[in-house]
Amino acid sequence: MFKHSLLLFLLLTVSALVAQVEKGSIHIKNGTVLTVTNGVLENADVVIENGIISRIGKNLRTPAGAKVVDATGQFVMPGIIDAHSHIALDAVNEATNPVTAEVRTGDVLDPLDVGIYRALAGGVTATHAMHGSANAIGGQCETIKLRYGTYNPNDLKMEGAPRTIKFALGENPMRVHGEGGGLMSRTRMGIEHVFRQAFSEARQYLEAQEAYARQKTSDPTAVAPMYDRRLEALGDILKGDIIIHCHSYRADEILMLMNVCKDFGIKRLVFQHVNEGFKVAPELAEFGAGASVFADWWAYKFEVYYSTAYNAAILTRNGVVTSINSDSGDYIRHLFHQAGKTQRYGQLTDNEALRLITLNPAIQLGIEDRVGSLEKGKDGDVAIFSAHPLSVYAIPQMTIVDGVVRFDIKNDNNDQRLDPDPEKIDMMMLNYDEDHRCMEGTGAALFHNH
Amino acid sequence: MRLTTKTFLLVFVALMMAATSLSAQVVGRATKGTFLLKNATIETIANGTVRGDLLIVDGKIANIGMNLTAAGAKEIDCTDKYIYPGFIDAGTNLGLIEVSSVSLTQDARESGEVKPFLEALTAVNPSSVAIPVTRVSGVTTVLAMPEGGLIPGQAALINLVGYSPDEMYAGFKAMRMNFPSSAARGRRDRRSEEDRKKAEEKKFKEITELWEETKLFAKIQRAKATDPSIRQAYNPTLEAMIPVVAGEMPLFIEVDRSDDILAALKWIKKTKVNAVLTGVAEGWRVADSIAAAKVPVITGPVIGLPTRQSDRYDRPYANAGIMAKAGVTVAIRSNDTENVRDLPFHAGFAAAYGMGREAALKAITLIPAQLMGLGDRLGSLEVGKEANLFICDGDPLETKTQIEQVFISGWEIPMNSRHSLLYDEFLERSPGLKN
Amino acid sequence: MTKYLFGCLCSLLLVLSSGLHAQGSVEDRPPVTMTFFLNNAFIVQSPGKVIDLGGLLIRDGLIQAVGKDLKAPADAKVMEADSMYIYAGFIDGLSNLGVPKPKQESGGNTRGGGRIYNPSYEQAGIHTANNVAGLLAPTEKDIADMRAIGFTAAHVVPREGMLPGQGAVILLGGDDAAKMIVRERSSLFAQFEGADGGAYPSTDMAIMSKFRELYQQARQHQSHQANYAKNPRGMSRPAQNDVLAAFGPSIEGERPIFFAVDGIKEMHRAITLSKELGFPLALADVTMAQKAIAPLKASGASLFLTMDLPEAKKAEKKDEEETDPEKKKLEESRAAAMQLHEEQAAMLAKEGIAFGFSTLSAKSKDVRENLARMIKAGLTADQALAALTTEPARMLGVSNIMGTVEKGKIANLIVTDQPYFEEGANVRYVFVDGMPSEYEVKKKKKKSAGDPAAKVMAAGTWALEIDVPMEQMSTPTLTITDDNGSLTGKIVSGMGANDISDMSLEGNNLTFSYSVDGGGQTVTVTFDLTIDGDTLEGTMSAGNFGSFDVEGDRESGPKRQ
Repeated sequence: MFKHSLLLFLLLTVSALVAQVEKGSIHIKNGTVLTVTNGVLENADVVIENGIISRIGKNLRTPAGAKVVDATGQFVMPGIIDAHSHIALDAVNEATNPVTAEVRTGDVLDPLDVGIYRALAGGVTATHAMHGSANAIGGQCETIKLRYGTYNPNDLKMEGAPRTIKFALGENPMRVHGEGGGLMSRTRMGIEHVFRQAFSEARQYLEAQEAYARQKTSDPTAVAPMYDRRLEALGDILKGDIIIHCHSYRADEILMLMNVCKDFGIKRLVFQHVNEGFKVAPELAEFGAGASVFADWWAYKFEVYYSTAYNAAILTRNGVVTSINSDSGDYIRHLFHQAGKTQRYGQLTDNEALRLITLNPAIQLGIEDRVGSLEKGKDGDVAIFSAHPLSVYAIPQMTIVDGVVRFDIKNDNNDQRLDPDPEKIDMMMLNYDEDHRCMEGTGAALFHNH
Repeated sequence: MRLTTKTFLLVFVALMMAATSLSAQVVGRATKGTFLLKNATIETIANGTVRGDLLIVDGKIANIGMNLTAAGAKEIDCTDKYIYPGFIDAGTNLGLIEVSSVSLTQDARESGEVKPFLEALTAVNPSSVAIPVTRVSGVTTVLAMPEGGLIPGQAALINLVGYSPDEMYAGFKAMRMNFPSSAARGRRDRRSEEDRKKAEEKKFKEITELWEETKLFAKIQRAKATDPSIRQAYNPTLEAMIPVVAGEMPLFIEVDRSDDILAALKWIKKTKVNAVLTGVAEGWRVADSIAAAKVPVITGPVIGLPTRQSDRYDRPYANAGIMAKAGVTVAIRSNDTENVRDLPFHAGFAAAYGMGREAALKAITLIPAQLMGLGDRLGSLEVGKEANLFICDGDPLETKTQIEQVFISGWEIPMNSRHSLLYDEFLERSPGLKN
Repeated sequence: MTKYLFGCLCSLLLVLSSGLHAQGSVEDRPPVTMTFFLNNAFIVQSPGKVIDLGGLLIRDGLIQAVGKDLKAPADAKVMEADSMYIYAGFIDGLSNLGVPKPKQESGGNTRGGGRIYNPSYEQAGIHTANNVAGLLAPTEKDIADMRAIGFTAAHVVPREGMLPGQGAVILLGGDDAAKMIVRERSSLFAQFEGADGGAYPSTDMAIMSKFRELYQQARQHQSHQANYAKNPRGMSRPAQNDVLAAFGPSIEGERPIFFAVDGIKEMHRAITLSKELGFPLALADVTMAQKAIAPLKASGASLFLTMDLPEAKKAEKKDEEETDPEKKKLEESRAAAMQLHEEQAAMLAKEGIAFGFSTLSAKSKDVRENLARMIKAGLTADQALAALTTEPARMLGVSNIMGTVEKGKIANLIVTDQPYFEEGANVRYVFVDGMPSEYEVKKKKKKSAGDPAAKVMAAGTWALEIDVPMEQMSTPTLTITDDNGSLTGKIVSGMGANDISDMSLEGNNLTFSYSVDGGGQTVTVTFDLTIDGDTLEGTMSAGNFGSFDVEGDRESGPKRQ
């Protein structure tokens, strides 16, 4: 009964909480359309009706009431997706326990973050708003759409996107809870144990729940196991309801987590950063794990000293679904440029490079049927560039989310803040880029902390 | 064995070295000789685009022209290829920091506020793994800068080839100064505005005193030259400041906030130092003032966030262009360590956001060379200049372009780095999957 | 002797400053009467409903009668209320009034330092079983401060952690905590305040999660207990858990959970929790609610807007008109942001959304000014009054006993000399539970009126009116003689006559002082007056007794030149 009412509650809330998000209709005319899944279409139109792509082709009719955008000489691509971001968040790390599977970044979305607008100005339409990397098992993350302009945090949520959770290996959890807290997770051995213990306890919890479900029909003295949100969340991972996105660097720890997942029957796994992913690319491909990497960041800490900017290329060539992420309020603004670096380091084709910031992150987030390419029936999330987006000279012109223009370079004003300080005008800060980082909220303030 | 800091350090370094040699760190030897680069499109920077050959002899550009020949020269066919002068990054920590989160591998930031006697060149590690990673991108020459405090020390220009700092030294040093500012240092700066202003004033006082004391110290020194009986106490700080105060040694003033830039310009005018402004993130706000003061600028990173929440998103990209259009002499730097190789992309963004490609290219070649008084030796492809250059298959500011061969001081650089070697080793790993 | 004098002075001072309130008096005498009568006042019974020049009878803490043509009964103390305004006492929707701040723990963990793993309820800031009634300290200064601006009741809650405990509606007067309480355990209080010392929950996301878990566990606990009560045999016994049990009334939909929210995002978070879990929600210290009209309406939450506003920009020198277009634009966006705060109440009223106010993060000294700013931004006086009286009474479930000036309600009243929301209005009395506090009128010194260049004559006979509660002193006569620019005078009152030797007139500013014998102690009385034609005004200060407003007319003497 209890379980039943809970479910009912969840169902009710999901429908109740999905806010009415704004959808629009737009006719983008005569651009070079980079579909990602169906090649490049010259002088083509993309029509979005009520937030959904209704047609792609030449000389299409403008639907009634649609806004017309002339993209002559411009490049039209699917909105960029960042599989690892901390923008639009009021909190990143609940750094008080090595396991915090129950917390959700979706509860602390910040729709007023001007970083959202700045990401839009880089062609980004969706991000994976992740928990930080302080804990071996961090919190659940939220896939959001950059609907800048709303004051309601719930409006950002990409309705229907699968649940994801942040895990972390290596130096960060070792430092926070091992060095900082004196707990198990001081070493990579201890971190493995944290996972095994957490999953084993969750398994026990699920078993106890099942036993209760069986017993209660015949036995009025049956008592449900005490509700535990942490174990509920871990149990949902075991059931395959949550995709793991794991902060990782070294090859050995990547292999370790794959082994743990195999032992517990967990299949949905994406590695984040995964700087030494290239060393275990065949194993990643065999497991079916995704890899979301930096284009060229390395050497900012010891566990990324033995890495290579060719990581994305090696992973791609080995059949690993790979994306390029930002993990930064700055880099999110030029992911198209970051993707372009895979052409310098590994000579990926244009389409391979574009996939790294569109369809592949969509696959990693489980939203590839909705976004990540320009196809009929997909969401009207589009970025328009002045030149080919992989060119260093390309300037984003317009970014559209659900058919609504959220960035237009022609209407760009200086001040895009939604909640300016009412008491004083904006002052400059030095070292501005400390925001939006993986280790935010842990008290650690090192230069690079991804 | 007593575990002193020193032994710990030794052990640590030994461990690092051991690890280093395990992986494919050895990138191969550079070779020197006579090289003839045939049939190239030569972007001279100084004299436009030329089609033809380029001859390297004894580390110098010996000739540029059509149908050149040279006995014993190694010929490199550059058909459909381009030659550019090596890029110069006038602001990095390259060679001084190996792994930024491991403090014992950091040599950029010494303790103390005023330490003009420190020389970055001393601590440049020629074996830094980031050096080969950087130079194969076409960045051949960088300014290695010390950090921290009011006067962090002396920066040194180095070529990215050689086995000792002296060998690498490219003939330019500058004193650095972090100009006092009352701006908050990020969100975690909990100091009140008043406290920040007080700290700023204290630093100004410190500077004024430093300048006065140095002048007196120099006067005593001069007197001593004619009268050996005059005694002068050992004072490395003032000793090192003498050429700066006299306007002989360039002073690189790190300053970002618009108000601080204006204050710095005023101070430069008063002290008559030989100044270059560095950083200058908000230069666009006061570009006309900088131009009027005729103080050159080294700005960067270009790819970065605006300095204020209320600023237009593209201000950092547009900054260099706005200053250049106002008449400021602008060089572009990466201000990076392990990713100095991104320098051409910083220039690319500046080019796209208003500076134009030609000016942006100059900002990472000839202009930094001229700023550092090396306009006759570096920064362009001209006969007689040092052979710092590279061959590539397209526009080097584009990410798609491959840098095919780099020459530094005439050395043919092995086009390997940890990154490329790992690529070679792991693209098709062998053994592959264990079955 | 000295001791006695000191006592006298003290009680005199008390009488002067805090009125007839007996509390704290050295001589702990019972009040003469508990019946008070006010007549000929404008009685604002509820927003928009006014009795012109009516009477009001208070007896034993309750409003006994209100209306026209009432007569003062013999046992009543008649209070001066002629042409004054009477309102229902204000009700604060949420605050910590009367709840002392806990003492700082010495050597407590700072954030980022050591961590507390697996914290207890206590360490996690979960104190749901905590009852604010047990924490009340009637002598807390903030109670008197809020009363002085008209607040007579408040919904108060404990302080610390994400779930500080249960709130109560209390009266802001009296010296007995038990008697102050009107409704005990009327709410469960929650806020987005992380645990200290590196304990879970430290961020809003963990607070959200912990709240959900506690609530579900409370449900489970409740049903377990119910089942056990029915059929204990063979069933494992539910553990005693006061923390979970405290959620019970909210689960039953009977007790609202009050969330104090810092900003619109926290407001949405609280709404999310209420929607998911189904508890009745009240939101306090709300800002920018006009940006969340639809979700607010859907939530059915009781709404208390913050009485705190961002600090108004000090008027800068006008000659420094901003010319930098960038700064000008930034200043505009700053001003627009300020407007969002100031016009919140007006915008909600326009949308037909009911609200009260809360003072959790407001300072009492700012409240009246902030109200004035909200009114300037479009809130009507009636809407403001409703938000301070009838609405909070309704939302706190006490409208049958307070919130209006009606017979039978608790005698919580404000008496002002002008309409409360008008500039310059003074609170003269505040009744809490039928006990009056009296306040002196603090008129601003009209310094600006002093003009050293003005030419006036001081000589003549002046009839003064001094706003001092000692009748003998309140209407003295001042005679000034001008002997070729040298001024002397004499002041005659019910207390006797005093000669004044050193009078000074600079421009139109007349100052003089003299000494009186106050029961063995010399008190210097100083006048600072501004003469305008045949009238004067200013202040009289009498040593420790305070400062009083003075007005006067020239009855005879030289005519204006």
